[in-house]
Amino acid sequence: MSPEAQIRSPKPAAMSNLYTALLAVAFGVVLATAAFVAVKCYFIYETLFKIP
Amino acid sequence: MSNLTKILIVLLTISVIFLCGIVVTYVANADNYKQKYAQLNSERDSLEQEKESLSNQLKEKIQQKDDLEKALNSQLATLKTRADELQTKINNIERERAELLERVNGWASITKDFQATTEKQIQLLTTAQEDVKQLKAEQIKLNKELEQTSAALVEKTAVIEAAEAEKRRLIEEKADLQNQLLMKTGGKVAAAAAPVTQEKGYALPAQTSTAALDLKALISEVDIKNSLATISIGSADGVREGMKFHVTRGSEFVCDVLIVDVDTDKAVGVLELVQSATGGPKVGDSAVTNL
Repeated sequence: MSPEAQIRSPKPAAMSNLYTALLAVAFGVVLATAAFVAVKCYFIYETLFKIP
Repeated sequence: MSNLTKILIVLLTISVIFLCGIVVTYVANADNYKQKYAQLNSERDSLEQEKESLSNQLKEKIQQKDDLEKALNSQLATLKTRADELQTKINNIERERAELLERVNGWASITKDFQATTEKQIQLLTTAQEDVKQLKAEQIKLNKELEQTSAALVEKTAVIEAAEAEKRRLIEEKADLQNQLLMKTGGKVAAAAAPVTQEKGYALPAQTSTAALDLKALISEVDIKNSLATISIGSADGVREGMKFHVTRGSEFVCDVLIVDVDTDKAVGVLELVQSATGGPKVGDSAVTNL
């Protein structure tokens, strides 16, 4: 590897961990909501997608 | 990172949290339609079963009603027949009753006539009994007078016999005295002759022996009109005809009763020496043989 290549492709560093954490929280909330809805639907209707 | 990206990240996070909260709230509060469906299905099944049982019961009731109707119709026919028979019997009984009423009316008129005849006969009988009582009282009085006359006759006869005996004795004494006088005139003295006829005393009325008996009785009946009275004792207690009872009320002398007829438990006598101040004997006065 040449020194130019090392200059052209520096490793990207996060600008701020705060916004990454916000994105992670949003993703987690969406995931927990989907899991909750799936569990609720399964326990009530004993299926996830079919109409009983 | 640009500011726009930062703003979008923040807005995305807020909107995700908001929408997910809405979804979670809606899902958590959503109705359990499966359970409701199962419950309604079970209720429907139970209602269908109940409907079937009610239908069966209705059929049974209808069958019972038909049977009962048939039985009642047969009973009704029997009762109608019996009612007709009873009506016929009632008609017969009413006809018999009318005939019996006619007979009863006939018997009633006959009974009335018979009753009137009986009353007339009773009046005649009462009159005859009163006549008999009067005749009996007169007979008793006549018997009493006859007895008194007989006693007086016996007494007079005894007196006449005594007088005749005295007369004969005096005749004999006269003859004796004449003989004595003849003897004295003839120089002879005759012995004194004893009279053949003995002296007799005068006849006395017979005395009743009531003094020996101490009888006590009560006046049970009084017939002032015929001067008769009935006492409460008779021959069973020693009462005899001819006895005399003294009737008293308290310490007051009322009259005497001379017994003329005696039964076993009563005796009838004639009233004598009635004290008018006492009003005559009454039922309940005491009658005794010895005062």
